[in-house]
Amino acid sequence: MDEQRFAIGLLLPGALWLLLLFAVPLGILLAISFGYTDDLGTAIYGTRLDNFEQAFDPVFLPVLLRSVGFALATVVLCVLIGYPVAYYIAVFGGRFKNVLIALVVLPFFVNYLVRTYAWIAMLGDEGLVNGVLDRNVQFLNTPWAVIGGLVYGYLAFMILPIYAALDRMDPALREAGKDLYGGPWQTFRYVTWPHTLPGVLAGTVLVFLPAVGDFVAAQLLGGPDEYMVGNLIQQQFFAAENWPFGAALTTVMMAFLLIWMVLYLRAAAREAREAAA
Amino acid sequence: MSEDRLRAHAAEPRASAIRFEGVRKQFGDAVAVERLHLEIASGEFFSLLGPSGCGKTTTLRMVAGFDQPSEGRIFLEGEPVERVPPYKRNVNTVFQSYALFEHLDVERNVAFGLKRRKVADDETRVRVREALELVELTGREKARPGELSGGQKQRVALARALVNRPAVLLLDEPLGALDLKLRKQMQVELKGIQREVGITFLYVTHDQEEALAMSDRIAVMEGGRIKQCGSPEEIYEQPSGPFVAGFIGVSNLLAGVVQNGAVKLASGDSCVADMPSDCPPGSEVHLSVRPEKIWIDELEEGMVEVKGTIVERVYVGTTTQVIVELAPGMRVTALEQNTARVHSHDRWRIGDRVRLGWHRQHARVLR
Amino acid sequence: MSTTETRPGTPGPAADAEAGARPAPPPRDFDRPRFLKVFTGVFFLVLFAPIALVVLFSFNSSRSLQNFEGFSLRWYERFFENEALRDSLIASIEIALLTMVVATALGTLLAYGLVRARVRFSGALNVLLLVPLVTPEIVAGVSALLLFTQVGLELSLTTIVLAHITFSISYVTVVVRARLASLNPEVENAAMDLGATRLQTFRLITLPALWPAIVAAGLLVFALSFDDFVMSFFTTGESPQPLPVRIWSAIRFGVTPTINAIGTFMLTVSVITIGLAIALPRLLGRRESGLGVLLGRENA
Repeated sequence: MDEQRFAIGLLLPGALWLLLLFAVPLGILLAISFGYTDDLGTAIYGTRLDNFEQAFDPVFLPVLLRSVGFALATVVLCVLIGYPVAYYIAVFGGRFKNVLIALVVLPFFVNYLVRTYAWIAMLGDEGLVNGVLDRNVQFLNTPWAVIGGLVYGYLAFMILPIYAALDRMDPALREAGKDLYGGPWQTFRYVTWPHTLPGVLAGTVLVFLPAVGDFVAAQLLGGPDEYMVGNLIQQQFFAAENWPFGAALTTVMMAFLLIWMVLYLRAAAREAREAAA
Repeated sequence: MSEDRLRAHAAEPRASAIRFEGVRKQFGDAVAVERLHLEIASGEFFSLLGPSGCGKTTTLRMVAGFDQPSEGRIFLEGEPVERVPPYKRNVNTVFQSYALFEHLDVERNVAFGLKRRKVADDETRVRVREALELVELTGREKARPGELSGGQKQRVALARALVNRPAVLLLDEPLGALDLKLRKQMQVELKGIQREVGITFLYVTHDQEEALAMSDRIAVMEGGRIKQCGSPEEIYEQPSGPFVAGFIGVSNLLAGVVQNGAVKLASGDSCVADMPSDCPPGSEVHLSVRPEKIWIDELEEGMVEVKGTIVERVYVGTTTQVIVELAPGMRVTALEQNTARVHSHDRWRIGDRVRLGWHRQHARVLR
Repeated sequence: MSTTETRPGTPGPAADAEAGARPAPPPRDFDRPRFLKVFTGVFFLVLFAPIALVVLFSFNSSRSLQNFEGFSLRWYERFFENEALRDSLIASIEIALLTMVVATALGTLLAYGLVRARVRFSGALNVLLLVPLVTPEIVAGVSALLLFTQVGLELSLTTIVLAHITFSISYVTVVVRARLASLNPEVENAAMDLGATRLQTFRLITLPALWPAIVAAGLLVFALSFDDFVMSFFTTGESPQPLPVRIWSAIRFGVTPTINAIGTFMLTVSVITIGLAIALPRLLGRRESGLGVLLGRENA
């Protein structure tokens, strides 16, 4: 078919690019996870599972678990902070809705590094807060500093989907809820929350995925005790020069995330099917 | 074309603009058009009429070149068009959604086809102006489609197609999105334009009044087949089957059995009628009579008669529909015009027993 | 809110009730969002405080992060006088421009092909398209690094550009595809009906109709590339390095006010770019804003 050939011709360059420069490298990543290094440190392909075993041994397993833990904490905090803000803007924003949501998004156009650096500037030993309090409180190099940095870094990804879901929701539903349930909390629990749950889930995925692999926050705001899997991986590639191990760590992380992605997509598809029915 | 061909072509009295030979179109398992044989003469206003899904739009798209027939051949001005892509065919289409180019102004929209053909600038300007005059949109050259009303967009679409002087103009329910009054107005205008320009029009619609009003010939389609093809009068007065009779205008369809040269209805009435050859005694048929052909009570000599009780009277301004029950489940609608002399609501009341009659030749026996 | 005001001359509430008026419902918490208002206010404060700090102190005449001693542009001078930093800035801009051009072109064509072609592998293509969007940057960065070293390509600006284009294509395709889906497909048929070949139709009719989406996507890609750190970090060569990588090294070494200046500068660039992405489509004569185009109608 003429149209078919034309369309296929058009999509080929982009598709090939993605195939060769994205899919293939992922394959290489997977392949090298099974490899090892020789004495010179060169990576060699193999079929060993050593790297995977090592990834789960007592030295490194805590790091993996910590990454998941931090990421989960980040998600929870993002919801706790992001939902009320999204709610206020969507429901009470009125004419200023667009301006307010733009203001929420604006800081996220500052480079992530600079934003994280800003927290160092604020909370560091020489930072503003310590200056104002005229004390020397240790804010940084703590787990909460890292989590805080993560929250600050990814909050917008939680607020936007929730805001979109709230904004799309028919206010009449809340009114009906008020009449039916009488109290604000019940209305929220039985009407608003279920309705905006897809938005919350979307936000969760958008925050959790990058947060697990983040290394900037841990590196800049924390110390070795706060290192996440991202820092580990980065170390393997730059300091320890153990690429196969780094690749294995990356693969493990990716596999872990993939499971959640698939579950989320299944749930979303089921939602869509039920909504259509 | 070779010289002999050219001469033969010129010698033909009414050249064929479009010819379908055994055309069939299948989408996967679904057959949209089945064994289409049709010839449309040059200069005709030809309509494809039918309900949604009957295949009329698919047929049009095959002429335009957007779809290829699964089987069969299509000929444009005598030439087969299988291998010819839409941009090389000498046809132009007016789309139901107008499909104007939003980023170009009216003038550039209309000039688009000419520019593709590398027509010189000055000639383009003249022809665009003429086309806009034809559709009564002079002065709106610089407007953008977004600023125009539905009716105006329709005119631009028409001008954009006509300016190229195609052999055939294809129109896909072009008036569907307009309100009733505008639609009626545009119908008259379109007919006038077609007469003036002399181009063959292939018009697709589901509105039977529209088709009857504008066409030289109509093909009534259903389920991918042509049920009947003929002039508006033929289609209306002599429907070939129950579908056409029911689709075109309003018709009473009375079920009955052929007996002694008449149709015996369930009500007991025996209606003399002109029998077609394929209806032997005992066949189950429908007797089709148009409401406006039925007289109430004051019948003429020789009319076919039935009796019944008035069950409903519907006043619709110009006419009054009187619904008479001949037997349980068998109802006939008769139409009386509300002229100055006759006021139906004075004459008949619900519950009255009346006689209905029609001339024998106004009823058709259909299988 | 139910305060009964009595205008002179009108009967009081009692009379109203008698006249059959309903009593006003008691005000509920949602109608007076005091908590939410305060919360949001504090939120914005905390959100902007660090950024305000960075911007403010980029103009500080002293090194201190605690006292603002006076207005000065010295840190900006330091920034622009530093040869390595200047090179980095130029490198970042070059990378972003190249990425923008190539990714936009490839992404647009991919979007068109995906929407118009009805092939069996479009499902797989869809996945291929969406995976980069959900892949954590570290994974993409590591795999890009592996690819380049395995192929024997030396790390340089080129490798950075290649990596950036790879993750940018998907953004463009998603934005353009949403816009394409909202276009009337009959318009392309109309163009062909009037004599335009497929290529002409694409050039004269489809592309202009897609233009707002393409511009918005392109600018988005520019901003993403200019700000990118992780991908660049894994695929950069020795020198020049893109600005964010330099910032990283600088921060590792300790806090210096020059970073404030760089940060503020980058913020300005990003804001201007996104502002253009939103405003340009409107300025170019289209009626929709870039924001609407970027957010697309996908989720509608």
